[in-house]
Amino acid sequence: MHPVLSDRRYVLVYLLVWLLFGVLLAGGFEGTGERGLVSQLVFVPTTVAYALACLSTWYLCRVFPLESDASVWRALPVHALASALASGIWGITVSGWARLIDRLAGDIGAVRVQADRGPALFLLGMLLYSLATAVHYLLIAVEASRDAERRALELNLAAREAELRALRAQIDPHFMFNSLHSISALTTTDPVAARRMCLLLADFLRDTLRLGAHQRISLAEEFALAEQFLAIEQIRFGSRLRVERRAAEDVGTCLVPPLILQPLVENAVVHGVSQLVEGGTIHMTACRTTGLLTISLENPCDPERLRSRGVGLGLDVLRRRLAAQCGIADVVHVAEGVGRYRVELRLPVVTAV
Amino acid sequence: MSRDATAPQLAPLRVAIVDDEPLARSYLRELLAAHDDVEIVAECANGIEAVKACADIKPDLLLLDIQMPKLDGFDVLELIGHAVPVIFVTAYDAFAVRAFEVHAVDFLLKPFGPERLAEALTRSRSRLGSADLQPVHRVLAEVRTGRAPLSRILIRDRADVHVIPVEKIDYIESQDDYVAVRVDGRSLLKEQTLSELAELLDPNRFVRIHRRYALNLTRLVRIEQSDTGSRTATLRDGTELPISRSGYARLRERL
Repeated sequence: MHPVLSDRRYVLVYLLVWLLFGVLLAGGFEGTGERGLVSQLVFVPTTVAYALACLSTWYLCRVFPLESDASVWRALPVHALASALASGIWGITVSGWARLIDRLAGDIGAVRVQADRGPALFLLGMLLYSLATAVHYLLIAVEASRDAERRALELNLAAREAELRALRAQIDPHFMFNSLHSISALTTTDPVAARRMCLLLADFLRDTLRLGAHQRISLAEEFALAEQFLAIEQIRFGSRLRVERRAAEDVGTCLVPPLILQPLVENAVVHGVSQLVEGGTIHMTACRTTGLLTISLENPCDPERLRSRGVGLGLDVLRRRLAAQCGIADVVHVAEGVGRYRVELRLPVVTAV
Repeated sequence: MSRDATAPQLAPLRVAIVDDEPLARSYLRELLAAHDDVEIVAECANGIEAVKACADIKPDLLLLDIQMPKLDGFDVLELIGHAVPVIFVTAYDAFAVRAFEVHAVDFLLKPFGPERLAEALTRSRSRLGSADLQPVHRVLAEVRTGRAPLSRILIRDRADVHVIPVEKIDYIESQDDYVAVRVDGRSLLKEQTLSELAELLDPNRFVRIHRRYALNLTRLVRIEQSDTGSRTATLRDGTELPISRSGYARLRERL
């Protein structure tokens, strides 16, 4: 929608400006007096009509945006042609209008007034059309900058929100409750193990808070954190939960956003291994090829399990967080087989300088 | 520990512990040891074991975890059929509402201490004699109404538990207070009326073609009409089932 046509008030103001211009133009051509009156009659309505025609340049401006020098050179002949065409049509319209006036009002000299100004009118028409084009480009530029501003604000807001959600999602409260229950169970039967679990839990919480505050941490740190979490869960689930990690040697120093593995290991335990009577092994791997760091997590799951809520939730949060914080989309890839669930994170390789 | 003054005269409360986490089980065992009037008759690591234990041992009370592999606490409750008083034990407070909807005696939130467990035991003692225990499948049916249709049917065959995905069912036949669920050429009996069960199933998959039959639509091969006007449905495996007039109307709505 044309910005002027989008609001009735804009149309009114726009036409008023042109009406005023038309009056001045007609007066400038013939002054006051009887010839002046005829001139007003000839030029004012046609100028207003031309005003509407000048709005058409908006669509050309949209099709030929000025983004580079080359695009300016491409747009220039188009606009020149358009202005000549528009102005020519304006001239024909004015002469037709003048003829009509003469016929209706009984030869009051309208045609003569118009014919005198033919060449001047053509030049003026082109000038006006070009002016309109310039104004339209200005409008587009203003709108684009306002759009960009709004988009930046929205992105900023989304990032802030994702960060908050991520923080809240970092530690599942039920994980805390279950761990505390395990500690409570161990205190009398195995005080040494109870103490060990307390310390594991404390380390995990502290490291989560500390690393979570960074923009990027090393993959080695990220893996260590995931393993702390799994060590705590292993106390709870005993031999049912097994973990295997295979990381290539050159990946430990790669930098990744913190806590990206947390939702994956949590899902693997809560929706995978803990749903199996016999339990299972969680496989974590990491490798890098040119420019791409691939981290994968695979776990067995019950093929007959009911789709539980929350499986995709952690991944969704992670997806949004990675998109908002790091501007990388298409990082999280899920592959589901019968009785197997695999998530792959594909990240650009970033290393410390 | 908190011991009821009147406890010695009572028969011991026979309790079964069901939790998939060994530590959680040992914790309950430890706390229950302080109660002279409680006897632990079974310890189960998953829902299937729990169902078996209930059939064999018939405990007075279940201490039942909710999130477990294969069968969760609510599934166990549905399968044991007759109402064994249950105390749910879980870290998820979100289950509390559902737990009381199925008339759980109490709901213990992990972590909990000995006092809280003693309170729950006292409560279950007072509930033991009372006759307000409804058949659980009926209660569960009430709770489930308005929820998503069943994706699987749980059937207990003595101590065996069958978890049957609904898409594997050919048809369900009514047999008085039971239904016979036809799967892979076998019939499995479940204590529930066909009307109750049919309400829980996806109406786009199962159609009540007859007072006595609910048919899985994907098994239907053709419908035949005899000279006398009665209709018969032929299934993929050749089985023929009668279609009543109102059943035919329902069938036509879906096809």
